[in-house]
Amino acid sequence: MTGGYGAGRFSRGIAWATVLYLVLPITIVLPVSLTDQRFLSLPQEALSLRHYANIFASPAWLAAIGQSFGLAVVSTLLAVAAGTLCAIGCWRLSRRASDLVRVLMLLPLIIPSIVYAVGLYRWFGKLDLLDRFLGVALAHAVTGIPYVVITVSAALAAFDPRLEQAARGMGASLGQTLRWVILPRIAPGIASGAIFAFIHSWDELVMVLFITSRQVFTLPRKMWDGINENLDPTMAAVAMLLVVFTLGLLWLDGALRRKRAA
Amino acid sequence: MTLPPPSASAPAGHALALTGLTRRYGAFTAVQDVSLSVASGQFLTLLGPSGSGKTTILMMVAGFTEPSAGSILLDGRDITALPPERRDFGMVFQGYALFPHMTVAENVSFPLRVRGLARAARDAKVRAALDLVQLDRFADRKPAQLSGGQQQRVALARALVFDPALLLLDEPLSALDKKLRGELQEELKALHRRIGRTFINVTHDQEEALRLSDRVAILDHGRLVQQGSPLELYERPATRFVADFLGRSNFLAGTVREVRPGAMALLAGATRVVQAVPEGAPRLALGTPGLLALRPEKITLLAPGEAADTEVAGEIAAWSYHGTGFSLAVQTTDLGILHVALPAWRAAISPTEGMPVRLGWPADASVPVAEDSHAA
Repeated sequence: MTGGYGAGRFSRGIAWATVLYLVLPITIVLPVSLTDQRFLSLPQEALSLRHYANIFASPAWLAAIGQSFGLAVVSTLLAVAAGTLCAIGCWRLSRRASDLVRVLMLLPLIIPSIVYAVGLYRWFGKLDLLDRFLGVALAHAVTGIPYVVITVSAALAAFDPRLEQAARGMGASLGQTLRWVILPRIAPGIASGAIFAFIHSWDELVMVLFITSRQVFTLPRKMWDGINENLDPTMAAVAMLLVVFTLGLLWLDGALRRKRAA
Repeated sequence: MTLPPPSASAPAGHALALTGLTRRYGAFTAVQDVSLSVASGQFLTLLGPSGSGKTTILMMVAGFTEPSAGSILLDGRDITALPPERRDFGMVFQGYALFPHMTVAENVSFPLRVRGLARAARDAKVRAALDLVQLDRFADRKPAQLSGGQQQRVALARALVFDPALLLLDEPLSALDKKLRGELQEELKALHRRIGRTFINVTHDQEEALRLSDRVAILDHGRLVQQGSPLELYERPATRFVADFLGRSNFLAGTVREVRPGAMALLAGATRVVQAVPEGAPRLALGTPGLLALRPEKITLLAPGEAADTEVAGEIAAWSYHGTGFSLAVQTTDLGILHVALPAWRAAISPTEGMPVRLGWPADASVPVAEDSHAA
């Protein structure tokens, strides 16, 4: 612990209330996913893993998981490429020009996703991208860019500009400097951005509801439909798997940051 | 034991000339019309306080800063418009700028990799460069695992490994503690002798400039004030700024009262200060104000009855002892406070505050200097 003053009783109370508020919904899902009943409910007589088994026996769930994973991978790759190049460009440009670009890049975070989704629906109709893998991948990639821009910009802010000068002074071209000096130094920032872009695509629902129907059927979409149509506890099991998966990704991000700090 | 080859047989360095070099930032002029030249194989130091423009000059030579006017010539060829990556200069940055994600060997190998050298050729050169700075055992370490002095030597090896035309050093020793700095000054000087390259060094440390350089260029407020060998600059400073910045000086102000061949005399109050004027040196006219710089170590304590060209009486206002000598501040009526450096070994007095003393110095101890042009 650092040597500062401990928090007061009031601050502690607020902090714990916030923690409970954030965690409680998840703690409901866990027992529901272990229910022995056939409908969404708390366990009555015993705990059961049958709903977890159900996921892996159901082609529909597996297809949804596969599709979501593929979309997340493709959109993450696109977001990382575009976001990293944008952050490096802003870093090299003058402050005023780059501030404007940075704000533009954050727009997908600022605009409510339902507004964004309506806009996408209109445009994708004209471009024949509705209910297409490519359409969803593009939508998720664009909205994933802000995460990459933010984390890569933070990594670049910690980059010593004299290293670039040193590289160029020793005869390195811009491409060589980028490849051998800048990218290795900001790799942890890129990895963090990729993880967040992946999570973003992995559990995005609003846009998917607008721009897909039958062809593309992602995991969040499947859960949404499940809740609307029948009260199958398999959803709770899927939700728990999602939580565990996301926690795993966040742990990976933390591990990468620790490695960078070391 | 094998001796290093004499510098005459080492590969020759290159000559650099700056003409009318100027750099403006908006209304502010960082470097104003600086012209100077470095002969092949010389060690030049740009010396000045912070904000004097010395680093800006180095950055223009390196190619990172574009001059507003003037040109840079390497062996007579104009390189002013050449980008830094095509100048082929080695550079040691302030704080070294080693690549933290690469090992020592990878750092040193970087300039060779950039030039597309084959792996085997690279490895041989890297080994030779690390040998040169005695770091061959540390090839596989990361920079963060090295001490400041070792990092500095890696930066040197990296700057020298590709046989650069010039070696530029930006305050290379400023991050080190005093003792280590002294050792590395010796090493740097020996290295310069051994490889016979042209070195251009930037520093605000006057002692470093005197110890290392063949030539020193003194800068103040973006202007070149004086250049010459360390001895010339120390013994014959041209202005009050140079006399004060390089070592310490007492300044004696008076009015010229006598002018004779080879000497003149200034009157400050009732004190007559005799100043030698060498053949060909500019003379001050009778009746004009004159300013002399006098080094503390050139003033002696006069024994009773002993005479000197200039004599002045005063009393010790403050003193301190620092091993090799005493520093005295002597209050005089006509010349204000005079600082005197007195060797401690067999000193004629043991100083106490208020002790009356008689000071004297020969006519060639002091030097006429000009007031600084920008002084108010």
